[in-house]
Amino acid sequence: MTPLEPVALLSEDWLFVLRNTDYLLFGLLWTLALTATSLTLGFLLGFPAGLVEVYGGRYSKTAVENVGVVLRGTPILVIIMVTYFGVGLSPAFVAATIALGLRSAAYQAQVFRGSIQSVSSGQLEAARAIGMSKWDGIRRVVVPQALRRSFPGFQNEFTIILKDTSIAFAIGLAELLTRSYDLFVQRTTAVLEVILFVSLLYFIVTFSTNRLLDYLEGYVAIPGGGR
Amino acid sequence: MADPLLRLDDVEQSYGDERVLDGISFEMDRQDVQVLIGPSGSGKSTILRCINRLVEIDDGDIELDGDSIFTMDENDLRRQVGMVFQDFNLFAHLTAIENVTLGLKHVLDMDDEAATEKAERQLEQVGLLDQRDSYPAELSGGQKQRVGIARALAMDPKLMLFDEPTSALDPELIGEVLEVMRDLADQGMTMLVVTHEMGFAREAATDIMFLDDGRIVEHGPPEQLFEAPEQERTAEFLERLTALHGGIHG
Repeated sequence: MTPLEPVALLSEDWLFVLRNTDYLLFGLLWTLALTATSLTLGFLLGFPAGLVEVYGGRYSKTAVENVGVVLRGTPILVIIMVTYFGVGLSPAFVAATIALGLRSAAYQAQVFRGSIQSVSSGQLEAARAIGMSKWDGIRRVVVPQALRRSFPGFQNEFTIILKDTSIAFAIGLAELLTRSYDLFVQRTTAVLEVILFVSLLYFIVTFSTNRLLDYLEGYVAIPGGGR
Repeated sequence: MADPLLRLDDVEQSYGDERVLDGISFEMDRQDVQVLIGPSGSGKSTILRCINRLVEIDDGDIELDGDSIFTMDENDLRRQVGMVFQDFNLFAHLTAIENVTLGLKHVLDMDDEAATEKAERQLEQVGLLDQRDSYPAELSGGQKQRVGIARALAMDPKLMLFDEPTSALDPELIGEVLEVMRDLADQGMTMLVVTHEMGFAREAATDIMFLDDGRIVEHGPPEQLFEAPEQERTAEFLERLTALHGGIHG
């Protein structure tokens, strides 16, 4: 008896997936890169927007709120069409980053607004009472506590963005889902296998990043539970 | 005779339509310990908050050391007036010593070493040097309030405001906070205290003010208010208060 080759146990369709692993993993790299740039842009815009929604003046607050409502109320497909075809941003990666980043900013603003508002107003009052300026008090007392409380919401946002990067399919960016589509139109019997494999990749990234964020949350937690 | 340290002149304050302070005038000399008492909603806390401009007044004037506080930069004013809060308001993400050094470093611009040294002395004064690295959530209520006092004292204020400093504490923890306050009074700190601790008021106060409905109903030394109040309302209020809080902790 010759020992069985392990691959011999697999169907032809699974072998097809296996042969194209590299191709899919490169797609995953695009997906991860797009997730990172979109979340970063979303943070850079969303965090200040959250601050403005809590502490801003009447006009800046209204302006930020309205932009947020529009962005949250528009389908991501429309936003990405606008940045790519409408505004004409290119390459596709930049258009996708701007689209996903802007929408994420609108959601992240809500995450940070909530966590800023959850810090008791007495904290800022105490900072003001020792002679700190409002901005200094926000920066040194409110923000460090608010950021710690924004982990759960941010974790959600990460998970959503990771999977929403697949919308870049619409503008032909060769991210994970686009590449899986390329594969299964080539070999239509392997649709299920390709999709399952790709889902597994999404799951592995989501799961491990969420564990990492859990760990970070515990690491920066205030000893004794804070307040 | 020098100016009084603090002078309130016909101070009026409202929230919306509701008149909170209705013509408050009094003076405090250096080293005075004045205690404000009165039913809830009478405006006691608001008076304190007007003095460090956490609340703005509608009319009248407040002078600190001869200068109207409305001509000063509000942050400058607050550096000179320490405040201790009913619910402590310790910075939750900072250790006891960091609570004290925050203002030293970022308001008074002291370097790390000088700030730490000063903060340690301040914590020692309230008997908490051994808790220097504990976070607020790891401290008892009494310890939190003592850190709160140390944090305010570290700024070397001319005047300390206490807003019901023991009201949020379990009865067995009130004593340690009052002891720190008594020491402070003995050292000559000028203190304006909102409290219902009648033992403290009787023993440490130079003057007691009874406030009702945004007005000072009666103002005098403790003996007068406790033994021979001129106003019926003062007598009634003190009688009820003494029944509840009578010198237990004094």
